[in-house]
Parts: sequence; C-alpha cells; structure tokens
Amino acid sequence: MARALKVLGKRTRRLDAEAKVTGALVYPSDKAPDDMLWLAVVRSPHPHARVLGVDCAAAEAVPGVVRVATARDVPGENAFGIAIQDQPVLCGERVRYQGDAVAVVAAESLRAARAGAAAVRVDYEPLEPVVEPEAAMRPDSPALHPGGNILHQGHFTKGDVAEGFRQSHVVVEREYDLPMMEHAYLETEAGVSFYDELGRLTVDSCGQYVYRDQTQIARALGLPLERVRAIGAHVGGAFGGKDEITVQIHLALMTHLTGRPCKLVLTREESILFSTKRHATRVRYKTGCSRDGRLLAVEARFVADTGAYASLGGPVLNLMLEHVAGPYRVPHVKVDGFAVYTNNGFAGAFRGFGCTQACVGIESQMDLMARAIRMDPLAFRLKNALQTGDRAALDYEMKTAVGAAATIRSAQKGKLWRGRAAWRKDLRKVPAALRPHVKRGLGVASQMQGMGLGIGLPDYCEVALELGPAGDCTLRASTSEFGQGAYTAYAAMLAERLDVPMERVRIVGGDTGLAPDSGTTTASRTTYAVGNALLMACERLEAELGRLAAERLGWPAGPARLRAGREPRVQGAGGQAALAGLLGQTPLEVRATYHIPVAEVELGDGLPHLLYSYGTHVAGVEVDTLTGEITVQAVEAHLDGGQVILRTGFEGQSEGGVAQGIGYALFEAVEFERGRCLTTNFNTYVLPTSLDVPTAIRTVPVVVREPTGPWGAKGISETCMVGVTPAILNALEDALGVRFTRLPVRAEAVLRALAEQAPGGRAGARTRRKGS
Amino acid sequence: MAVSVNLKLNGAACRFEVEPDERLVETVREKAGLTGTKLGCGVGECGACSVLLDGKLVCACLVLAAQADGCEVFTVEGLAPGGRLSDLQRAFVEEGAVQCGYCTPGMLMAAEALLRRHKRPTGEQIRQGLAGNLCRCTGYTKIVAAVRKVAKRRAARGGRR
Ligand code: FES
Ligand code: FES
Repeated sequence: MARALKVLGKRTRRLDAEAKVTGALVYPSDKAPDDMLWLAVVRSPHPHARVLGVDCAAAEAVPGVVRVATARDVPGENAFGIAIQDQPVLCGERVRYQGDAVAVVAAESLRAARAGAAAVRVDYEPLEPVVEPEAAMRPDSPALHPGGNILHQGHFTKGDVAEGFRQSHVVVEREYDLPMMEHAYLETEAGVSFYDELGRLTVDSCGQYVYRDQTQIARALGLPLERVRAIGAHVGGAFGGKDEITVQIHLALMTHLTGRPCKLVLTREESILFSTKRHATRVRYKTGCSRDGRLLAVEARFVADTGAYASLGGPVLNLMLEHVAGPYRVPHVKVDGFAVYTNNGFAGAFRGFGCTQACVGIESQMDLMARAIRMDPLAFRLKNALQTGDRAALDYEMKTAVGAAATIRSAQKGKLWRGRAAWRKDLRKVPAALRPHVKRGLGVASQMQGMGLGIGLPDYCEVALELGPAGDCTLRASTSEFGQGAYTAYAAMLAERLDVPMERVRIVGGDTGLAPDSGTTTASRTTYAVGNALLMACERLEAELGRLAAERLGWPAGPARLRAGREPRVQGAGGQAALAGLLGQTPLEVRATYHIPVAEVELGDGLPHLLYSYGTHVAGVEVDTLTGEITVQAVEAHLDGGQVILRTGFEGQSEGGVAQGIGYALFEAVEFERGRCLTTNFNTYVLPTSLDVPTAIRTVPVVVREPTGPWGAKGISETCMVGVTPAILNALEDALGVRFTRLPVRAEAVLRALAEQAPGGRAGARTRRKGS
Repeated sequence: MAVSVNLKLNGAACRFEVEPDERLVETVREKAGLTGTKLGCGVGECGACSVLLDGKLVCACLVLAAQADGCEVFTVEGLAPGGRLSDLQRAFVEEGAVQCGYCTPGMLMAAEALLRRHKRPTGEQIRQGLAGNLCRCTGYTKIVAAVRKVAKRRAARGGRR
C-alpha cells in the first residue's frame, strides 16, 4: 500500500474504554428490565441418569415462584446445538452430564427462584457413566446417543508414512495427554428476555452469533424467525465459550410462558459445570526427519473427549486434523481422529479450536527431532516452513500469503533468541544460595491457524453503512464485542477509508433487530470479514454519493468522496459541495455482503481453509528444582496478522493469549472423577494471576500482507495463544532435560520427573536413531 | 427478617433493608443499582467485586451487608464523581488496560488500594497488589503498566493526584 496510513496500526484508544473504567457499561448480567422475574435452573447432579419423574408441586408452592417449566413445556423442538441439535433444552428422559438442565424456575426474586429450584423434586435413576473415550468407542460401551459414541471421525493420508519413516534418520514417538480447559470469561453466562416494542420475543444476552441464537431460540419455541429477536453486543469475555446456546432458550421460554421479562445469570459453579470446554484430548504422534533436518513423515491419532453433546466437537476435531503437521511441509502424512461422546462435561469451541491440541503435539515433536539431529530448533523449523505454493499436510496447495517463515525469521532476530546463551545463565534476581538449584531454559513454537469457517459452510458477512448529513457514520454489523476490540477496529477502518474522524463513527452491533447478519464472532474472522464488507460498503457509498450529485447537482457521472471538516463536503467530478446540501435531511444507507473466499479443493466437513494466520513464540522459563515451581519469565510473540489495525489491541490480544497459553501449560485442568466435576470454581480451577504472567511480553508484528484482507489484515485472536503452550514445554526441556507430555505441568510433576531423571530413575524416551 | 443497614456509599448516606445473609455485593448491585461492581465467582477468588470498605480493599461477595453497617463503601462509580475520570481511570484507558472490562472495576479498586498503601510501589508490589484480581483477557501486562504510570505521576506530584 503506497499511501501512508492515517489511523491503522496506531495506538488508538478503544471506543468503549471510558464506559468500562467508570462502570457505566451495562453488561448482560447488569440488565434489569422493569417487572422482571429471576430465573434459576435445576441441573442434574448426576453425570448420567434416567429421569423418572419431575415433581414441581413443592417448588410452585414456594412464595414468589411464578412458574416452573420442565421438558413438557418446551413448545418447539426440545433440542439445540450449533452443528447437530442433540442437547435437550430441558431433559425429560435422560441426563448426560452434571449440569444438564431439567427444569427452570421463574420467581419474583433471585432468592425465591433459587429456593424454588431447590424444591423441584427430580427422580433420577443413576446410570453407569461413560468416562473413558477409548472405551466409549468400543461397540460394547453403553451408547449415549442413538448413533453410538463416536460423534465424528476423520482419516487422511498423503504419500506413504511407512516409506517416510524408512527414509528418516530419526523417528520420534510420543503420546500427549491434554486436559479439558475452561474459558473462564470473567462474566458468567447471563441475559434478560422481554417482548420488544414490536412484540418480538427478545433475548438480550451473551452469544457470539445473534442470528444463529435467533434460529436456535425460534426452533425450540416453535416460533417463526421474525417473532424472535436476539441481542448480544457488549459481553464480559467469551473465547469461544459463549458460541453455543447458554441462557438464551431458557430465558425465551420463561418470558414466553409468563409474558414477563426475565433475567438469568449463571453462578460460577453452574457456568463451569454447564458450559462447553476445550476438548480433553489424547494425542499420539510419530514423526521422522532426515539427518539434514527435512521433515519426512507425520503420523498422528487424536482422541478428543467431546463430552455429552455435539456442539462444535466435529469441526474442532477437523481442525486438529488439518493442522496436524503445523506450518510445515511434509511429504508423508497419516492422521486419524475421533471425537467421542462421554459423560465428562461438554466440549466445544475454544480459542485455537483444535489447533491448540495439534500444536502441542507437533511442536513438541519438532523440538525432539531437532534435538536428536542436533539442529537449532528455529533453523529446523525454518527449513521445513510452508511457503505459498507448497502442498499442505492434507495435500492441497497453499494459495494465500504464508507467513510461517517470516515469523520464524523474526523470532531468530528477536532479542530473546539472540541473547539466549546469556539469558539462560542470568540468575541475578535469584538469591545466591538458591542459584545452584534454579534452571533456566528457552523454547520456541510455531503455528498456523485457519481463519474463518473453512469450505462448505456459508461464511458471509453483511454490513450496513449509514452516512448522516452532518458527516457522522453508523456501521451496523451483527458481530459481538467480548473485549477483543472489534468495534474499535471497525471504526478505525472506516476512519481510514473514508475521511471521517473516529469520534464520528458509531458501531451498532449484536442485534438481529438492528444490524444485518455479519456472521459469527469466532474463528479469528471478524476484522477480516467485517473489514472487507465495510470496504465494499464504502465503495458503494461513494458511488451513491456520485449518483446523488449527478441527479441533484448535475455533476458528471462518477463516484464522489467524502471530505471531513467542520462542514463535511463531497468531492467528485463536478467539484465540491456541502454534504448537508446534497443529502438534505435523509441519511444515505448502503449495504454490502462479503463472502470469505474458500479453498478450491474440498476435503469434506469444512476442510480445508484458504486463509491462515501464523505465529512463532519464544518462551523463557525458570524452574526451582527444589520446589518444582515454574515461572515463565519472558515471552516474545512474533505474530503475522498482516496489516495491524490497532497496535494496542494487537498487543493486548497477544498478552492475553500468552496468559491463557501459560494457563494451559502450567495451571488449568477441569478434572472429573467418574463424570463428576471436581473443579467448579476458581478455588480449584486455578487461573494465572498477575504474578504468573511475565511483565516481559514482547509482541512483534510480522506483516505478511494477505492480498484478500482489508489493507492486508487477517485475524490473530487465536494464533496469539496457541503456540505459547508448546513453547513453554520446549523451554522446560531446555531447562531440565525433561520432556513433559501431560498438561498441566505443575510443581509435583516437575519434582516427580526430576526424581525419575536422577540416577536410578527411569527416563523413558522413544527416539530411534538410525545406526545408533 | 430484613434488617436496616446504613452505608456511606461513595460519599452519600444511604439506608437499605437487607436480608441477614445478604452479601454486600448484592446490596450494591441490586439495591443501590451500582452495577459497576461485578460478581465473578462469589467465593472471594476473582476480585471482580472489589470495593473499599472504610478504605480497606475487600471482596464484596465475602462481606455481609449487615457487617458493613455504619461503614464507608467506595465503588468504581465513586472514582469519577461528576464524570471526570481519575488519574487511574485515565491511565487504564491510555495504556489499553481494558479489554472486555469485566475485571476492570475490581482492578481499579485494587490498584487504588495499593497506591494508597505504597506511594512508590515497585513492579513486584504492583503485581502483588493486583494478584487477588483475575483478568482473563489482558495478560495483566497493560494493567501493571497503567498502575506504574499513575504511581510515577503521583510521586512526581508529591503524592497528590
Ligand atoms: S465475586 Fe467476589 S471475589 Fe469473585
Ligand atoms: S479485561 Fe476481560 S477480564 Fe480483564
């Protein structure tokens, strides 16, 4: 782009920051329509049980209780789910996980609603829970759904892995055990419902895609779409965890049954029990490379525990398969994957969306191989980095800008990696007496992440742009704002494209009643998709201004551009004119729909993607070998998001991604015992605090422009997290000589591993080297 | 049986009828309508409900409203009386310390408390002072930077805002 950018890439302030620091911003959990009822949900205490009966009489007698609803009261289809509708809105026959909803109580106060919920008598016949995915796949396992326990499986081969391993100088085999992870957005699932001024049943809540929420609500209530309105604009965090239906249908149902506004806010315990999670996954990898560091074969098997219902388990598994070999060129691939139903909670979308699990596997393998052939880990990665025109792991051509090599080179040039020898030895901050017991290490990981929904699923984005006579712009786009800064990014892009100051731009989002369908707020897609759609809209706007000028002012045909200023003007083939004079009282509105381009080949089930973003992380850890305590001291993130839209937002996403990657590596696991969740609040599900995340996080934008992106931009909201975890695992091996394959790596695991490593301990590596 | 509780809420004398087991966070959010104070966990682990109670940082989800009787309660809404942002709030905006913003009110209260405790806090003291407040979005980096900035500014002005 020859012209210098005025707005993009700068340290722009967020549009919503002021409302957030004053406490003025109203979140779903803060809304309180007049005359509302509070809801409380009765949830199954059992991971698996038959429901023999539900008795609401006692609950209905609780003072303040207005209505109790059970499965019988669901007027439409008693089922929801983004991909497959296999989860009951209210369970009438069987519950499949702790948290499954059985009844909803509406009452005049929260206390009354909770008392009512406690008084609902459900007669359960507990059933043996299905908790081991491998066992659940066998034909003799009790089936949780009519089609059996395998929700989805995928198998791909390219070349001949046996041949690849024969040619390899080094073959490494490992199994990785990855836990279920909770999104832990600070605002739990919440919302309100009411009839709006047009009589539409309206749910104002926390979803990631209001148009899909509208569909799911309408289906469950048996209402035509236009009788339902879904809103979800400003939300306290999501990370994929609010993509599935959470509170929406229960809210709609109770307003439908009572005619009154309702409010539902999940407790943290409910939220953790009930909501989707990152799939716990058992990952087996066997990889081989040549003596000079060419990656020759990747064989992998993923078994992902999808829990009780489908949600997005199928697509998540698909992304594991697609990203099996990371951002690397490899001639021989074989990959098998299974997403399996169990009674262990419920899994779905989470930042990284399957790439996370594959990345831990392949990036650990890359390090093990580099070590075995004594090659520098970044040099090894660079040597194998995918380029445009290469064939990807699943054997399709990489068509778009590939930033893998650029991010690896950027990491090589980064301070942390260049200074690695000194960094490892730098124990100045450690008390002298402890120094002999403290070890430091550095690790790297590289990643690619499919952007958008892939092929086969409709992936469009419609926006509406309105220009008022005073020169103010309103962009209406139905995506949501969970904190990622999307609305500010839209305003910045508009300000860049049109001559409009950011303060004059208003974003109306997350409302099927006010904004056209801009698609889902997931898959790192919104900046890219909305950006492209708004560029199309701007072009239309200029054409339309030109048409009006021709019609009203007699200008020669041709587009007219907006010119900012106290009295905004338009400029075109006929010179300049005042905007207000041209438009009169009527604002000008245009609409545009962008379709995210997709790959030419179709491998089925949404695979593959056409567009990817890339990143390479370098992490430095310090381990106290006496206590086993690990601290991440420094992280450098080299992220290819194409053109940076908001510099501060870009860094902020990256820093938050680092914290989540640290959490996945070292802290977090939703734990179950025979299907019962043991970690239902933040006292047992431990998140990284300000003491666990390094202040030294450096984010380096690596700008590989995506030709189809707005100004060359693509999304980074997932890439910024995914590589962090394996970079930490690789740093741990660098520090301790121990390969951790089970997450999270807590102090006990470190001490155990060090004891095993000691003379006489057993250290089990399976690295085969030819001729040794 | 409801009991009467008198609070000085952001400087204004208020009286509330509360349940004996009602937590302060409920009174502040539901009865006073000050929803800037958030509820993130209800068990004292996340700090989203942080307020200053007689100048001391507390989790309003762990304090009974009745216990606060006669006390001064200071919430995020009290930081910007009349709509003028405090130096801390401004720094949060400038540094990009806010993403989803759900942790922000609690963070601001924790930051305010730590800056009252330490006039010239070290980086470590800032991180310690914020360690009771979870943030899932920012990785804390820019929050720490914002607090550091205010500490410097206040120190330069001899402790005044
Ligand atoms: S809500 Fe009080 S500490 Fe989390
Ligand atoms: S900004 Fe979202 S939790 Fe802190």
